[in-house]
Amino acid sequence: MKAFEYASPTTKEQAVSLLGNQWGETEILAGGTDLLSLMKEYLSTPKRVVNVKEIKEFQGIRYSPGAGLRLGALVTLEELMDHAAVKKEYPALAQAAEGVRSQQIRNSGTVGGDLCQRPRCWYFRNGFGYFPKGEGGEDLVINGENQYHAILGNSGPAYFVNPSSLAPALIALNAKIRLFGAQGWREVEAEQFFVTPKSEGEREYVLKPREILGEILVPPAKGIKSATYEVRQKEALDWPLAAASVALKINGTGVKEARLVLGHVAPVPWRCQEAETVLAGKSGEESIAEAAQVALKGAKPLSKNGYKVQLARVALKRAILQAAQGGA
Amino acid sequence: MGFHTWGGRGHDSECRLTINPDGSVVVALGSQDLGTGTRTILAMVAGETFVLPVDAIKINIGQAPDYPPSGASGGSTTVGGVSSATRRAAQDALDQLFAKVAPALGAEAAQLEAVGGKVQVKGNPTKSLTWKQATAKLGVTAVNTTGKNPGAGKLIDSGVGGVQMADVTVDIETGIVKMNKFVAVQDCGLVINEKTAESQVFGAMIMGVCYSLMEERIMDEYLGRPLNSNMEFYKLAGIGDIGEFVVHMWKDPEQDGRGVIGLGEPPVISPAAAIGNAVANAIGARVPRVPFTPDRVLAALEKKGGLTS
Repeated sequence: MKAFEYASPTTKEQAVSLLGNQWGETEILAGGTDLLSLMKEYLSTPKRVVNVKEIKEFQGIRYSPGAGLRLGALVTLEELMDHAAVKKEYPALAQAAEGVRSQQIRNSGTVGGDLCQRPRCWYFRNGFGYFPKGEGGEDLVINGENQYHAILGNSGPAYFVNPSSLAPALIALNAKIRLFGAQGWREVEAEQFFVTPKSEGEREYVLKPREILGEILVPPAKGIKSATYEVRQKEALDWPLAAASVALKINGTGVKEARLVLGHVAPVPWRCQEAETVLAGKSGEESIAEAAQVALKGAKPLSKNGYKVQLARVALKRAILQAAQGGA
Repeated sequence: MGFHTWGGRGHDSECRLTINPDGSVVVALGSQDLGTGTRTILAMVAGETFVLPVDAIKINIGQAPDYPPSGASGGSTTVGGVSSATRRAAQDALDQLFAKVAPALGAEAAQLEAVGGKVQVKGNPTKSLTWKQATAKLGVTAVNTTGKNPGAGKLIDSGVGGVQMADVTVDIETGIVKMNKFVAVQDCGLVINEKTAESQVFGAMIMGVCYSLMEERIMDEYLGRPLNSNMEFYKLAGIGDIGEFVVHMWKDPEQDGRGVIGLGEPPVISPAAAIGNAVANAIGARVPRVPFTPDRVLAALEKKGGLTS
């Protein structure tokens, strides 16, 4: 690990003033479950690490039936998973946190950190960047080990998948993410938070170098049934091969409105709007299978990840069934 | 179901054993304990020969050339080598001790026996010495013996066999294989310590589940380097992934009579066969390569004619 300066501000204003103008100059430390591994591997070599854990404003869960849910960015995955209102009103979110199958990571990993963690692409983690290239300019992902890479939104040059466990659930639940910077707060739809980088200097989200993800607002979930289903090979800590979070407004026996989001299939969490229309206004299992087909219609698997198309369909189908049968 | 056989004949081994006049017993061998329990079984073999508790035996291993040579630990050959060499050295040392002590008990050496921390005339507790009184008769000269693995015969043998049965669930929509129950039956001749023997089999079964379902080194062909050389990407089973394990060590007088045979590797041979056969039974198609990952299981299903047929 490269030596660095450590700062531990107690207010959000101080914290912002300690951040650099360029990505990589400084890094924000919360749970540290990703940042510390990146630093140990020299994938991140900041001059200064800004610990935000002492900023009280970024802590805590608040819920009221009228206002909905407010999650401080420092809420741990374990707190989220164990929160009674989250479990009851937003099961998609609690189930997504539960999918992180390491007690240690859930205890220290935070909601903000889950959203801002860097790609888990093994080329990226081995130091080859977003767009790994061979000496002759060959695309290493396209020609190499792409079994866990993107099947959607993969026209290049990025082929990694967004690793966030919570993002699909937050997007399905129509959450807003609040970012704090020198000009104060700004708010983005969870869906708009993630972007596909086009150059190595960019990041995978709209957060700017001198901004901090401070809190997340989730609207009331009255009348909404939600669920998350992850296809994971292992029960122990393992990245999902595909995941889906869904939020359904159910009217009698039919789905009135649906928000369907896939995880681990594209460089960003993947909203399936056409499939949402297929599902809305229908009932019965046939419409679920049809929605799953439609959701993956545009999939363009790489040389070794064709199986993920099937897994994504299954994740979506099972998440819909799980939401319809249980949910809030 | 899967079967395996293995040799496991003890390697060449020499044990130097000392009984000191103060009653202490030292076993020295240029062997090593890989975590498989070598120290434990050496203390048990010497302790049983002298009828002393295991903590009365000091075990010195690992310092060649100070200690006499034993083979490398490979091929499941250690236990047979070191246990027979130690048994031989301990038996010879006991005979020498009896010879020194016999006059004091007014008996012939051949009439003596070691019984629970004592040396006595066979069947006659009234004519006995404590272990310390007995070893004090050595005066200033310790008993030093060297024992060698005598080769296949009464103390050791080779050839073990095992049967393993796997019960799995295959999710035919995702290709994910889950272990429900895994049963292993194993023979290995005379079992010196049942707990460490069972542990060898449990360990092999865990490794077997890992390599059957998950473990794989992913090399990038262009870079020529591994991509998953860390605990995040290299998949190993957790407790929730291994299911229920049952181990039956096959123990009976016939097995005991064969002597000691190595056990480290044999039970790790057949897990993939057992699990692979169970998967094939479940889905009606062979998955031709380990590990049986979702992509390979789905490919086997598709080759067979799809999910529905």
